[in-house]
Amino acid sequence: MIKTKIGPLGTVAGMVVLIAAIPLLFVFYSSAQLDAERWGRLWSTRLPELFGNTLSLAILVCLGAFVLGISSAWLIARRDFVGRRLAIWLMVLPLAIPTYVFAHIYSVLLDSRGWLGSLWIATFGDAIPVPDLYNVFGVALILALASYSYVFLMVHAALSRSNRSLEEAARLHGATPMQVFWRVTLPLLRPAIAASLAVVVLHVLSDFGAVSMLRFQTFTLSIYLQMSGRFDYQAAAGLSLVLVGLSLTFLVIERFFRSRQRFYSGAQGALIRPKPATRGELVWIWLWLGHIMLLAVILPLAWMLDWTWAAYRDQLIGAEFWGYAINTVTVAFLAASAAMVVALPVGLFHVRRRSLASESFIQMSSVGFVLPGPVIALGLITFLLAVFSPLYGSLAALVMALVIRFLPLAVQSEEASMQQLTPSVEQAGRVHGAGPLENLWRVTLPMIRGGMAVAWVLVFIDALKELPATLILRPVGFDTLPVRIWIEASEEMLELAAPAALMLVVASLPALWIMMRGQAASR
Amino acid sequence: MRYIKQIGLVLGLLAGAAGVAQAAGDLVVYSGRSDKLVKPVVEAFTAETGIKVTLHSASSTELLNKLRVEGARTQADLYLSNDAGNLEIGGQLGLFEPLPKATAESVDARWRAPDDTWVGLSARARVLVVNRQAEDVDFVKSIFDLADPRLQGRLAITNSANESFVAGVTVYMEAAGKEKTRAWLQGMKDNVGKSVFAKHGQVVNAVAEGKYAVGLVNHYYIFRYLNQQIKDTDKDKDVDKAHEAGLVKDAIRILVPDQGADGMGVAWNVAGVAVSKHSKHKDLAKKFVSFLVSEKGQKIFAEVNFEYPTRADVPTAPGLVKDIKVADVPMSKLGPERGATIDLIEAVGMP
Repeated sequence: MIKTKIGPLGTVAGMVVLIAAIPLLFVFYSSAQLDAERWGRLWSTRLPELFGNTLSLAILVCLGAFVLGISSAWLIARRDFVGRRLAIWLMVLPLAIPTYVFAHIYSVLLDSRGWLGSLWIATFGDAIPVPDLYNVFGVALILALASYSYVFLMVHAALSRSNRSLEEAARLHGATPMQVFWRVTLPLLRPAIAASLAVVVLHVLSDFGAVSMLRFQTFTLSIYLQMSGRFDYQAAAGLSLVLVGLSLTFLVIERFFRSRQRFYSGAQGALIRPKPATRGELVWIWLWLGHIMLLAVILPLAWMLDWTWAAYRDQLIGAEFWGYAINTVTVAFLAASAAMVVALPVGLFHVRRRSLASESFIQMSSVGFVLPGPVIALGLITFLLAVFSPLYGSLAALVMALVIRFLPLAVQSEEASMQQLTPSVEQAGRVHGAGPLENLWRVTLPMIRGGMAVAWVLVFIDALKELPATLILRPVGFDTLPVRIWIEASEEMLELAAPAALMLVVASLPALWIMMRGQAASR
Repeated sequence: MRYIKQIGLVLGLLAGAAGVAQAAGDLVVYSGRSDKLVKPVVEAFTAETGIKVTLHSASSTELLNKLRVEGARTQADLYLSNDAGNLEIGGQLGLFEPLPKATAESVDARWRAPDDTWVGLSARARVLVVNRQAEDVDFVKSIFDLADPRLQGRLAITNSANESFVAGVTVYMEAAGKEKTRAWLQGMKDNVGKSVFAKHGQVVNAVAEGKYAVGLVNHYYIFRYLNQQIKDTDKDKDVDKAHEAGLVKDAIRILVPDQGADGMGVAWNVAGVAVSKHSKHKDLAKKFVSFLVSEKGQKIFAEVNFEYPTRADVPTAPGLVKDIKVADVPMSKLGPERGATIDLIEAVGMP
């Protein structure tokens, strides 16, 4: 029974999606001007390499994030050990470090004078050259370290919510702990794993920071180079179109698999309590987690502190530095709040009226995430100048670009929490005489509060770190921390990049705290 | 109720944000150079004239794109680029206002646009950095010797997306021909394999450590390195005097390639400035440019980054090599030929 009733909710959702699709329209428009001959040249010269690079990178990063994320999530959710709460914190902290900072730090650390480089030489001598990052494995390492936290978060949440009865039943039937993990726990985690790997893949496809610092030719970097080095907007748009196609294919496949996997369990089941770790286990747990933390958090933070101290000593941190910090937080706050609000109608429309229209709305709203930041910025500039020029050059234009970029994060997490909205509860509200709006305020919103908070935090953290669109769209003289990091790092002024990176981490902490508190409360 | 208030607050903030007019200064400069290199001269200008200048920094190419897309709506009064190619492309796109003759002509003719749409502010040379201990490097006299198989695994270069690298290749292509340049790139590619550096500073460090024998860099990175060495070893020593007295006995030396009577000369590039065609403060902007090319302004530029002033009557920083033979390729070629250069680099497959 496919009914395509749109209604007022659908109209609002449609408007949101239409705005989110502005950059896509720009891409369609520009690539329509590519003639067949130039398409042919793109296909034969550029695309095979770009497909190969982008896909192999995505696969490697997924593998890395899978191993790091699931192992740490399982250990932390199922074992109780000294420092467990600290471990949770350190596992999500990499979310606060942008990929270009990761790439930059590791290329400095692996330099023959850097900490890791000199350690390597001291250990292996000159016989084995210090590994460098300028290849698919190096980039994959960086992106896996920067994104495994998404897997950790979602899988950890699923593990803490999961029900004791199924695993106990398996044990009663004689399964070994290993068998339980592979046959029961892991399959039950499939939706969480799929969703988190989807987020990881989207981050890989849209990453600009790491690939541009490490010069690894993926779609985003190639699009950027076509656009800015050669002024070839049409070729850039053509490549963007292919990238959008690739990402949508992936998203549709992922949704298809996810929609067939629903697991229900009775609400009364007892939750699994983490088992206290034995002494031997404790050593192994901290050895494993410690290594992950060392690479993903401790080394980068130590580097930032070291250089920040150097900058402080040389009195390079001036008053304007606090201005950059305030700018960054203001923009991220506005973008996160706006995205949280505008994602509501899109998510609600899809949950209430599952239809072809709602499904395509969701897909269209995902486009922002996969289009490279510079393309979004350019599309928006073109649109604003043509249609609504007073907005151009203002903070609002930048906020709009960030909302378009990160809307999918908000829609995804709000939609996930709306799945729990049982129609009966809302119907009960209506029966008791609440109008649709009152029902929304008093019944629906309180029920999905957790999802909205997560949406806000995810967008806030990504908006804090956002670089490519901000570089192009920010108001004149309005510098954010990522912009400063990028400017200073590109001029090899490391002592000025480090304090900005450190500030970014500090600014993300409250947001991470909100999210972690929400998770703890939902348990 | 709480939600209504919260959402109302958010909407209010958004509306406020839309209306916020940036508290920009009197002049807005789209600057493609590091703030650290531009700020001293801007501060001197403001101190002298009382005119406030806002620097809007990003990469030169990106800002040119922005200027182009914005057209008449741009807020930029000036465009400052670290690469002559961008300036020339901008001039040809008609984005710039011609400068007054007097201002333009105070700069050496090699370092400004033929139609006076932009002027160079500071010049840099593509030179070689050589480790003093390295053996069998005496044959290196020309840029083209870098393709010699004797340098296999001993050559350090930046990746080929670097703006200075691209501009250098353009000059060699114009001066020595496309085929010779292609063969040169191919030879360098064979010599470096896949390991190239992201930054010029890393090239200099690697050569100083003896990991590589020769590196291809902009000249000022060598001087930045030497200066840092002096500062690290003796904090109180006067850097300029140390240079002049030849006190710097370091692991590396500078080699200016392609000199001599029949040498091609080194490749130059300049950082320069132009006035936006759509500026609403053209007079102020021109005043700023004339300050930048004045003796005072040029002196500041020469001092902050060991670059060559573009005015003949301003002395270079102490320690810099003087009287360099320069390849006979006008700066204006760097713009139109950039596309062809990138094609060549990509055809060879330089990393």
